[in-house]
Amino acid sequence: MNAIILSAILGVIMMFCSAFVKNKKSYKVVAFIGLIILLIANIIETYSHSFFTFPLYGMLSFDRFGLYLNSLIIVSVIIYFFLSSSEIEHVGEHVAEYFALIIFSLCGIFILTSFSNLLTLFLGIEIMSIPLYILTGSQKMSLISNEASLKYFLMGSFSTGLMLMGIALIYGGTETFDIAKIVNVHGGNISFLEVTGMLLMVASLCFKVSAAPFHFWTPDVYDGAPSVFTSFMATIIKIGGFIGFIRFLSARAEQTNVDYNNTFGIDWHFIFAIIIIATLIFGNITAIFQRSVKRMLAYSSIAQAGFMLFALFSMNDVSKEGFLLYAVAYSFATIGIFAILSKMSDVTLDGYNGLAKTHPALAFANVIFLLSLAGIPLTAGFFAKYYMLSSAVEVKGYLWLVIAGVIFAAISAYYYFRVIQSMYFKEGTTEFQYEISKPFTIGVIVLAILVILVGVFPQTILNYLYF
Amino acid sequence: MGINTILFSVLSVLTIFCAIMVIASKNPVHSVLWLVATFFTISGHYILLNAQFLAIVNIIVYAGAIMVLFLFVIMLMNLNSNTEQRKNLWMKLAGIVSAGMLLWILISAVRTYTEQLGKQKLNATFNTGNIGLIKNLGSVLFTQYAFPFEICSVLFLSAMVGAVVIGKKQ
Repeated sequence: MNAIILSAILGVIMMFCSAFVKNKKSYKVVAFIGLIILLIANIIETYSHSFFTFPLYGMLSFDRFGLYLNSLIIVSVIIYFFLSSSEIEHVGEHVAEYFALIIFSLCGIFILTSFSNLLTLFLGIEIMSIPLYILTGSQKMSLISNEASLKYFLMGSFSTGLMLMGIALIYGGTETFDIAKIVNVHGGNISFLEVTGMLLMVASLCFKVSAAPFHFWTPDVYDGAPSVFTSFMATIIKIGGFIGFIRFLSARAEQTNVDYNNTFGIDWHFIFAIIIIATLIFGNITAIFQRSVKRMLAYSSIAQAGFMLFALFSMNDVSKEGFLLYAVAYSFATIGIFAILSKMSDVTLDGYNGLAKTHPALAFANVIFLLSLAGIPLTAGFFAKYYMLSSAVEVKGYLWLVIAGVIFAAISAYYYFRVIQSMYFKEGTTEFQYEISKPFTIGVIVLAILVILVGVFPQTILNYLYF
Repeated sequence: MGINTILFSVLSVLTIFCAIMVIASKNPVHSVLWLVATFFTISGHYILLNAQFLAIVNIIVYAGAIMVLFLFVIMLMNLNSNTEQRKNLWMKLAGIVSAGMLLWILISAVRTYTEQLGKQKLNATFNTGNIGLIKNLGSVLFTQYAFPFEICSVLFLSAMVGAVVIGKKQ
């Protein structure tokens, strides 16, 4: 509750800043202090109590998993602001509003980590995604940015329509919006309306996390949006979407499972196996052919979503821990790569030529981030992928899916290593649009060290889930 | 067969017809007008369910305000059938296949549901619920649904900020 209310207030404060604070450099300081207060308030709620109590009538329910994820997300946003807030100032005129929109969309994520009602799920998804449509189109003079924004908005509203249709059907089948309530309206039988509603909900949520076959918007939107906001969308928003998906399915999927007593139901394992395979194929194979690193990262985010989908596929304790690790590993690494990328003037592979000679520290940190995304041991990505795959091993009869996952992880190394190859083995000079400050370099290095530390001691992250 | 059933059937046929006409008509202005008609018929359904407030709001907000704005936008854009792009044959085919599969699922859902209802002797009832009356709606909105109602303000605030950010001259 703390995080939801305080983030809404912080967003309003950021809005007022644009009216009363003239110095643009001070917005990020306000956002920074606000986020640290948010983090402290959230930790206080995790270990003792919430500052705000009022009757919620089962609209939200707070558990350790959700609150801990809140903390991790706030930490990621703090890192994101530290590394990239100077680029946010370069995007356009309305700097304070961009900060406000980012924080409003955080508020939506905090609802998604704690909803227990279909209404709040819908509101959370909408609060999370509406600011993104605007952030995508924030470069008003750029045609690509406008196109991306319009495309994202139209497709996003269509998928929201599907979600509402699904919610209506689920309500028709169960007579409740509550996700946790198990209802036997029809004498123990599942209502077919609920099954259909669940399928529509899954389609719509797959769109939000860009899983195949609902991923077609991703490359265009990620490529068209300003690089700083692509970084935010590809990491924090994607994690938020996944949390909503996981909470929804872990409460509801049981009811619609195929049961031998019933004539119908959904074989969730099979459905997610197909979605995972399709996502991995589309993401990885298309990423190989990209010349632009930004577009390659868009496809790689689809491929990484394929691995995060394993959490939905297996739905056990290991997958919960695995998802936490994956969220940390993926968002830290991607924030780092995008922080460097959004300072560069040329975002194709050629733009990276010779980075190791001019900025050895940045190049080295970039290598660690890329290795983490590829899942090489000693980086955070390795244990994230390991937990995900080992959770899938526990599901009987789907060993082929695990093997396919390993193969695609190996394929993904190819396009990540191409960037490393450009940086270290090709001649050229990297040109930067914005200057590289000393704190920025230190921040990137610290983030790289964090990625390695998480890779060596993954338990330190997971322990906080229980203690 | 009571008057309610007859009204329901007539309204349903009208709704489906209007909805099909929305996507079938070539002229966008006609589409919008058909959509207004669809909203009116849906409001008729709300009245059958004894939700007068919802019916009125649906007409005022959707058919009245939003659709008029819609019409203005379409007339300002000056669309006609010449500017419409020709669609690829394969795209059409893929659309038909996927939409047909969705229709298949929806029809089977409705069929199974009516079978289940028939087994339990349950029937949809007209004109009995009173959740749609303003008094009940207000009290539910400020007790049970207070949180979603309040958190909507964040949604609208961010949409408003966005409208200003997008719309303001640079």
